Amino acid sequence: MSTALRRHALHALFASAAVLTAMLAYAATQWSLQPATSQLGFIGEQAGAKFEGRFEKFTADIRFDPNALDTSAFDIKIDTASVNTRDAERDGIIRGADLFNVKGFPQAHYVTDSFTARGGNKFTANGKLTLRGVTRPVPIEFTFESATGGAWLKGSAKLKRLDFGVGQGDWKDTATVGNDVQVTFALQLKGN
Amino acid sequence: MQLKNDATRYGLVAQVLHWAVVALIILQFVLANRADALPLSPAKISLLATHKSIGITLMALVVLRLIWRGFNVVPRDPPGIPRWQQLAARATHLALYALLLATPLVGWLMSSARNFPVSWFGVVTLPDFIEPSTTAFEALQSAHGFMAQTLLVLALLHVAAALKHHFIDRDNVLRRMLPVKLK
Repeated sequence: MSTALRRHALHALFASAAVLTAMLAYAATQWSLQPATSQLGFIGEQAGAKFEGRFEKFTADIRFDPNALDTSAFDIKIDTASVNTRDAERDGIIRGADLFNVKGFPQAHYVTDSFTARGGNKFTANGKLTLRGVTRPVPIEFTFESATGGAWLKGSAKLKRLDFGVGQGDWKDTATVGNDVQVTFALQLKGN
Repeated sequence: MQLKNDATRYGLVAQVLHWAVVALIILQFVLANRADALPLSPAKISLLATHKSIGITLMALVVLRLIWRGFNVVPRDPPGIPRWQQLAARATHLALYALLLATPLVGWLMSSARNFPVSWFGVVTLPDFIEPSTTAFEALQSAHGFMAQTLLVLALLHVAAALKHHFIDRDNVLRRMLPVKLK
């Protein structure tokens, strides 16, 4: 091998090593959601009192690294029919045409655009929620807690149900059923 | 009229508390029946919210009545009432007090069991002493309805006895709970 060629080969090797190192350092980790221990719920208000509900079925594609926010991303899909407020009659109403309309809109979808660090293990996800066919920005505030073999992602978001048309006809009334809904989650993640 | 009871009649405080409870109980039956006829809707939630708030108010009024009763003499019964009637009256009053406290309490638990926590007129949210559960809800709902019906029957008996005293015995038993002159 000529000296020039050897130099070229060496350069190429160093260059690819550098690229690989950069990728390892800066690509956010792909996590896998542990559905059994993870929770995604909400707090609504009826007649002045708060009540809790949750979604039994959802998927969360989480790529996140506190040091690589640029390549981090959340993609969360929620089965709207899996809503559970511990009361069958109310769940039936929520699934119905005036509220979630699960026949027309079986899925709610959240996708992040960017992340903001808020100090320590606190972050804000800037993303958009599509619910009942309406897409709107919804920021999520969360903490990222490393644990052995994985991490916990815990946080909440505030939204107004009527912004998404969740409440038609009589259910537009916000005196009895509050417009403000808080979405809460605690997702257990495992490293791949 | 005097505020406190004496040996012949109830004072103003005891009378106001008694008749306030009467008025609110009637309202409770009206609200419950109207709500029962509706499907789950904001109108029904709103009716039941008022029903729950009044129920909690009733519990508080009954507690106040019992405390006030403790600081007052209870007017004496007219002479010549048979022993069995005295015992029947005492048992009915005791059962009425018990149901006036227990019916709202069971209603509160029933709301918690259905995960519709109780707010008192939107001012304060009451704690949930039990977890949401369909089984518990159904049992508590039956109990609440049964207690309300028993309360209604005993209240009608109470009214019948008062009217009997007034129109047949022509004594002061009803008058002593009204802001009127005694005979």
